[in-house]
Amino acid sequence: MARTILHLDLDAFFCAVEETRNPELRGRAFAVGGRPDERGVVASCSYAARQFGVRSAMPMARALHLCPGLIVVSSRHKLYSEISEQVMAKLRGLTPLVEQISIDEAFLDISDLDEAPERLARRLQAGIRDELHLPCSIGIASNKLVAKIATEVGKKAAKGDAPPFGLTIIPAGEEAAFLAPLPADMLWGVGPKTSRRLAELGIHTIGDIAKWPENELVRLFGENGRDLARHSKGQDERSIVTERETKSISQEETFARDIRDDKSLEKTLKEQSAEVSRQLRKNNLAGTTIKLKIRWPDFTTLTRQTTLPAPTDREDEIGKAAIHLMRAVRKSGQAVRLIGVGISGLGPPIRQLGLWNVESEKSRKLQEAVEELQEKYGRNIINRGR
Amino acid sequence: MKVTVLQENLARGLGIVSRAVSPRSTLPVLANVLVASDEGRLRLSATNLELGITCWVPARIEQEGSTTVPSRTFSDLVNTLPSDQVLLSLDAKTQTLNVRGGSSTNDIKCIDAQEFPPLPVPDLDGAVQLNVADFREMIQQVAFAASTDEARPVLMGVLVQVEKDKLTMAAADGFRLSVRKAALASPAPAPLTAIVPARALVELARVASDGNEPIYMVAPKGRGQVLFRVKDVEVVSQLIDGTFPDYQQIIPRKYTSRTLVSTAALLKACKQAEIFAREGSNVARLNIKSASSDLQPSEVEISATSEETGKNETIVEATVDGSGVLIAFNVKFLREALEVIKTPNVALETSAPNAPGVVRPVGDEQFLHVIMPMHLG
Repeated sequence: MARTILHLDLDAFFCAVEETRNPELRGRAFAVGGRPDERGVVASCSYAARQFGVRSAMPMARALHLCPGLIVVSSRHKLYSEISEQVMAKLRGLTPLVEQISIDEAFLDISDLDEAPERLARRLQAGIRDELHLPCSIGIASNKLVAKIATEVGKKAAKGDAPPFGLTIIPAGEEAAFLAPLPADMLWGVGPKTSRRLAELGIHTIGDIAKWPENELVRLFGENGRDLARHSKGQDERSIVTERETKSISQEETFARDIRDDKSLEKTLKEQSAEVSRQLRKNNLAGTTIKLKIRWPDFTTLTRQTTLPAPTDREDEIGKAAIHLMRAVRKSGQAVRLIGVGISGLGPPIRQLGLWNVESEKSRKLQEAVEELQEKYGRNIINRGR
Repeated sequence: MKVTVLQENLARGLGIVSRAVSPRSTLPVLANVLVASDEGRLRLSATNLELGITCWVPARIEQEGSTTVPSRTFSDLVNTLPSDQVLLSLDAKTQTLNVRGGSSTNDIKCIDAQEFPPLPVPDLDGAVQLNVADFREMIQQVAFAASTDEARPVLMGVLVQVEKDKLTMAAADGFRLSVRKAALASPAPAPLTAIVPARALVELARVASDGNEPIYMVAPKGRGQVLFRVKDVEVVSQLIDGTFPDYQQIIPRKYTSRTLVSTAALLKACKQAEIFAREGSNVARLNIKSASSDLQPSEVEISATSEETGKNETIVEATVDGSGVLIAFNVKFLREALEVIKTPNVALETSAPNAPGVVRPVGDEQFLHVIMPMHLG
């Protein structure tokens, strides 16, 4: 059955919030983020600033170089979260099928709503503008992938220094035609690395990918190739995941070549555990059940899980449990095609303090210090010995 | 062997020793109960090699002998016999025990008593003598705090220390600590320090139901065992090898806030909070409010929230000496501690949300319980 998915993205969200608090900023070139003398980066920049080439994630010093008159406003994350929550509450008022994917973005499944999608979208945009004084762009399509790209296309089409207020609707059946002329890297899963390899093959647009046979793509890119083939044709079956359903966090990797080496597999598990742990902490969660997923070269897939006595968000605990599970199902030297770690039984990161467990408190402090460094100087600056 | 025994005596004896039976052992004889004539009484014994229980029951011995009888079959059968005489007669050659009671006759296949591991015969010289009622209360106040995690065997035990006329029991599972002291009626001949499996003590407390007889405890040097005798029951347990952590150093010496509350009121509030807390991380928040001025009554607000079930909040009147504090505990730990406190009022001493809380019965210096709080992330 055809679905209707609405993707909503608040336009230059942090800046828009700052403008509601300080109307003098309206129309001016300004950026929210860290201070340039503290190696700060641009978290969000106004549309006027974008005219000068300022972009998100750019070092603030460089932004000031591009736009000398740029006003730098320090981030107020607590405020942004509060406002974001108000927007999300408004969306949940329309339908419970809301999947918030970041502070300023969400998917809504509006298939079962009576109102025509375009009318609904206009009403939503007007409501958020009038009540919360925030601009937003919307994309509507038959799936999440195309809806999100529709929003991006709508935003890019806007010119000038006013917020885009984009609204792009892709009717069912026209997904592939809509995607075809767009650059390949607008597709999910196409990062700089894949993008480069695609370019080497003479693939530049999403339409180019769609023309390649699926088995060729699988040969070149592994499992990811299968997704590329489907996504390039505008096919995506993932459903809306509302917050209540977010019951696990996981990471997995299909190897380009089967791996036999115990040490590399354990290293992969540790890296995946670190990422799972990072996501847990980002979402202020901890979990109790650690799950290992392993696929042999013949595609048989096993999952094994273990439950810890207390919830954890620590990479060393998750990694230890995952390695333990792997050792129980895999003979040393046995080839592995895919491996992954997940955690479920999620809840707030409440932990029982121990009378003696100085060790785990030490490890926690270490992790916090590592994280602080990573946040400041990037992920590769420091890591646990693997 | 030919023995006549009263059904209720036999049933009671089997009920006591069957707790030490290990039905799934690789040694089949451990699923059996040793039945033997012993100086005019019938001796029943069971062991899982860690814990052994022996019970003597009155009987009329017509012919001496012994065998081991499958515990489950024997107990289930005896429990259904009429309350009258039961006649046991063993065919030693076939190791078949004939059990007659009322109008039923039964043949049970047994295993030769030779295969049953020998249980130590205690030498009660130099035994520590304890009052049963006190001893049971001590076990009840301490053993529950022992760990069930086999990763740290030492914490699965209760530290039992005897020094002159002072007996101390302590147990900790890494998150909480229970310590109980008692005075002995007469000084012990020698000091003793042993880690006794909590399970053995719990079984001992169960079988030592009669309040008037003394309990004798002896731990012969170098044997790694402890033996308890009360009336017609003996419990022998392997000791846990290792060093119990120094618990003295984790008992806070100071506090910034001391809260006096009715034990019953706080226990009730904890039970209510637990209904909600158990759905999540078992956490209950205690908001201890400082008094507006000295001698003014104050209160403790106990609350728990569950994503699924809802939330609870109870206010308990309290006398708070010192500053207010918001502290979170595993409510099960708090409830279990309050359940073993006998005094009408209890004091909770705290110094910070991440520092151990101490629970003390007001007017009883012999018991204390330390609980580590939960960190709310």
